[in-house]
Amino acid sequence: MNLLKSTLINAVKNIARNKLINFLSFGIIAFTLLIFGIFNYLTFSLETFTDNFSKNIEAIFYFNEDVDQAEIDILLGELKGNLLVEDVTFNSKSQAEIIFSRQFPELRYILSEFKKSPFPASIEVKFKQGYNVGPKVIALIEDIEKLSIIESKQVNLDWAQKVMAIKKFISLVGIFLSLILIFVSAFIIFNVIKLNIFYRKEEITIFRLVGAADWYIKVPFIVEGALLGLFGSVMAGGLLFITLKLFPAYATFMYSIFKDMVDFRNIPVIIFVRLVLLGTGIGLLSSYISVKQFLKN
Amino acid sequence: MIEFYHVSKQYVKDQYALQDISLGIQKGEFVFLTGASGAGKTTLLKLIFKEELPSRGQILVDSGNINLIPQKELYLLRREIGIVFQDFKLLGNRTVAENIAIPLVVRGERKSAIDKMVGKALNQVGLTHRKNYLPTHISGGEQQRVAIARAIVGNPKIIIADEPTGNLDTELSIEIFKIFEKINANGITTIIATHDLHLMNMFPKRTIRLDKGKLASSGQKEVTL
Repeated sequence: MNLLKSTLINAVKNIARNKLINFLSFGIIAFTLLIFGIFNYLTFSLETFTDNFSKNIEAIFYFNEDVDQAEIDILLGELKGNLLVEDVTFNSKSQAEIIFSRQFPELRYILSEFKKSPFPASIEVKFKQGYNVGPKVIALIEDIEKLSIIESKQVNLDWAQKVMAIKKFISLVGIFLSLILIFVSAFIIFNVIKLNIFYRKEEITIFRLVGAADWYIKVPFIVEGALLGLFGSVMAGGLLFITLKLFPAYATFMYSIFKDMVDFRNIPVIIFVRLVLLGTGIGLLSSYISVKQFLKN
Repeated sequence: MIEFYHVSKQYVKDQYALQDISLGIQKGEFVFLTGASGAGKTTLLKLIFKEELPSRGQILVDSGNINLIPQKELYLLRREIGIVFQDFKLLGNRTVAENIAIPLVVRGERKSAIDKMVGKALNQVGLTHRKNYLPTHISGGEQQRVAIARAIVGNPKIIIADEPTGNLDTELSIEIFKIFEKINANGITTIIATHDLHLMNMFPKRTIRLDKGKLASSGQKEVTL
């Protein structure tokens, strides 16, 4: 317990000893993690948006004139058993005529010109909400459309597809930038620990000669790296919160585009947790590598 | 306590820092290690606390073959040995008491125990009044006494000092040697590397002499003017 306490105290003291270097690296780590946080947050928001979007997708499929009732029944059965489908309603040609008459009573007279219903039979499909169903729903709609018994479909997918394309683009940019920024953060921590090791070389020599265990010397440096990552990521979380608060006020044009997709009031806890875990992880790993390389026995 | 069996050390091929050294130092002995500069005194001392590894031969410390001590357990050997350097090796940003406490702090001793043991060590070297000073604010002789106090604070079985009076005048050197004598009187094996014949004559002890890496003599009271 004493040793654990002294290890933590040593790590904090080490940070305090090299104030300038540690403060600068802490700032850079916070900034790089903030960029990571922004992209992570945008991707997360668009993911949620496209997921929610699927609940509004309703598709109507119109059958060919010569379709068999048996074929319709098979399709109905398959759709009812599909996990993505909430509800399926079949409208026969005569039901379509009734619906038309009900919705447009002033145009009812047109129907009297036809011997039989001019409307095709159709099925109306409502899709389930929730988890990442957007792309799956679109794929299902495209599969149904390809069936030979389907004449045409009525569904507005353009909007959903555009949102998903934006999300994909932001995800890719986010991943690319994140990888660079993660590398930058790791590189900074790696070098700060390296500098601290050289700065404390004499102390390390003395510690070794008076009987300090290997871990007693090494662990504070690793903890120091983890603390730099932890503090940097907490700072990045705070900056992300402030950035999102200020964004609507200072970027009104951009805000009008994003306001439906991105929640500017609250950062989801998961984004904050991801940031902190990533920051601490980067700190731990890069300081471990630095210690392994520059603090040999 | 310490045994060397045909120990050789080479830093460069075909050049021996130490060559075929065999000797023994008994528990509680006070031994001078002497020889000209470059004779191999420091190398021999470093081999005892495994700062260097022998190129050939075996070294036993307290009946244990130090060649067989794994790197991870080396600290256990170092806790049995107090080391005093010519350049003191004190941390300038820590007080005298904090410097002396280092061997105890790294062992995870309680603060109350540390305070007690540091107080005792300070008393042994006569520096109680300087405990809150920084090393840079005390004299060279006092700094060396701090280094000695740090070496003895953990109750080691062996004290090794490499030219402990190299930077001090004769008067201070005598004072330092008297402290070593007192430490040795408590049963701690004491090995001091020095080339100061005058001091060795003032404190007649067993003297191991090295010459160009070879053992020239290892008997007692061999120093003559």
